[in-house]
Amino acid sequence: MNPRIYTALARTVVLESLRRKDLWVVAILGFIIILTAGTLGFFGFDGLEIFAKDLAVTVLGLFSTILAILTSSRLLPDEIKNRTLYPLLARPITRGQLLAGKLLGAVLVSWIAFLILAVLTAAALLVFKVKFEPIMLQYLFGKMMGLVVICALSMTLSAYMTPSAGATMSFVFAFGSSMISRALVMGYDSAPEAIRPVFQLISVLLPQVSLFDMGGRVVNINWGPVQAWVMWSLFGYMLLYSSATIALGWVKFRKQAV
Amino acid sequence: MQPAISVNNLGVTYRAKKGESLNAVRGLSFSVAPGEIVGFLGPNGAGKSSTLKALMGFVEPDAGELQIFGDQAGTPESRMQIGYLPEVAMYYPFLTPVETLTMYGELQGLFGKTLRKEIDDLLDLVGIGHAKNKLNRSMSKGMLQRVGIAQSLLGNPRLLILDEVTSGLDPVGRKELRTLLKAKRDEGATLFFSSHELAEVDMLCDRLILIHKGQLIEERTMSTLKDELREYRLTYRGSANVSDIARDMNTGADGITIASFANAESMLGATERIRTKGGTILDIVSQEGSLEEYFVHTIQEAA
Repeated sequence: MNPRIYTALARTVVLESLRRKDLWVVAILGFIIILTAGTLGFFGFDGLEIFAKDLAVTVLGLFSTILAILTSSRLLPDEIKNRTLYPLLARPITRGQLLAGKLLGAVLVSWIAFLILAVLTAAALLVFKVKFEPIMLQYLFGKMMGLVVICALSMTLSAYMTPSAGATMSFVFAFGSSMISRALVMGYDSAPEAIRPVFQLISVLLPQVSLFDMGGRVVNINWGPVQAWVMWSLFGYMLLYSSATIALGWVKFRKQAV
Repeated sequence: MQPAISVNNLGVTYRAKKGESLNAVRGLSFSVAPGEIVGFLGPNGAGKSSTLKALMGFVEPDAGELQIFGDQAGTPESRMQIGYLPEVAMYYPFLTPVETLTMYGELQGLFGKTLRKEIDDLLDLVGIGHAKNKLNRSMSKGMLQRVGIAQSLLGNPRLLILDEVTSGLDPVGRKELRTLLKAKRDEGATLFFSSHELAEVDMLCDRLILIHKGQLIEERTMSTLKDELREYRLTYRGSANVSDIARDMNTGADGITIASFANAESMLGATERIRTKGGTILDIVSQEGSLEEYFVHTIQEAA
């Protein structure tokens, strides 16, 4: 297992994303957030700590997820469409290594975008004199782990369906995660005993992206940080779900004629 | 000695979604010896690219056995020995040639100063050293083809598989490429390439393999083919009859006969006979036959 294979592939994804100005769009959005927050602060809307934090976590979650899905869902289809895949596959690497390297690149792009936004949002929150709390750090880690799951899911879906269909499905799973979970719980509660395992199975198969979102705890001042085992459990879930998802993508991609 | 390429009874089938299937290659067998330059010819849709893709592991053959220097084709071990130039390839538009080659080099297991030096040397060799830090998207088709050629030469591979090698290159570029490929052969590399440019095949190849509708039509060394295609023509005046040794013979109203022969020996026999009969030889021509005519004729016969 040569780590250079993965870093070479990931570096290409990040460089392409930087030069295609994807990340600049994120930086500009962040600047707009600061400007808006600064304007609100200038006109004396201070004391709106909850509103500011709510806006911050919404913007952070929204833009980083959109970028993660758009980046990872087009990686493989673009390689095939643009025929950049041939010289890549002509190297002494396996298709599994190619997928893993590309996934690493997509994760890095979405993390960079998320962290740029996070820094700019933190600056914006300073306008509202919001103090730093440990839950904010947990929120960042949680969100970064969630982005790994989203990237793996988007890449895998793009191997099975058209890029737009894959991206749409990813958006549904990423943004509708909590709604789908609630619906599954309601379905489970009202279903006959014999049918309940079906709901459990669907629940296991679908990505529980909302688990990684601790935005609610950040917004509410009185809620403290979560315990360490929760973070470790999330880490374990991320590893397990991402590995299983990307393995599914590999099953489709490993023998795919290109 | 292990052949550089060994293809035994290859079959490649593409399956469409509606249950239809297309047999791109059927029962194809051939081999390429180390150090040979072999041209892989066939009309559009003959199965050339499919065969090359099967050798690279881009498509899964549904029959046959393929080996590269004894390793199963399509595996990382076999690809370690191959430099591949695809028929049509884009190179990441937002990377420079140096960055592109650095990535491919690292995937090949090269790194550090050795890789950097090799990249600089290769870019100079293919004539785009001056543009090594320009973005690929700002380059012409010919320059991108040179980036492609450079990437195929990374790591000094033992076998070069080139799909439509001169595509996009101007005449100067083609000549430079021929010189480069011959130099690679002199260094011991094996070259296997597909092309529609028969002039390239003529100037480069030791041997050619001709396929049509996914099947082998002919496998010939260029020297025997050229001998066979060479035409010997004799123009003479006199009563000598050489029709028994001529391939073709026409006598005009002015008494001048034009006879063509399959080989030099027949022609020499005819000149002897004409002189003995008191005839006058007006012209002797020895000219190379057209590879294009051979190609068209052979394909038409196979069809």
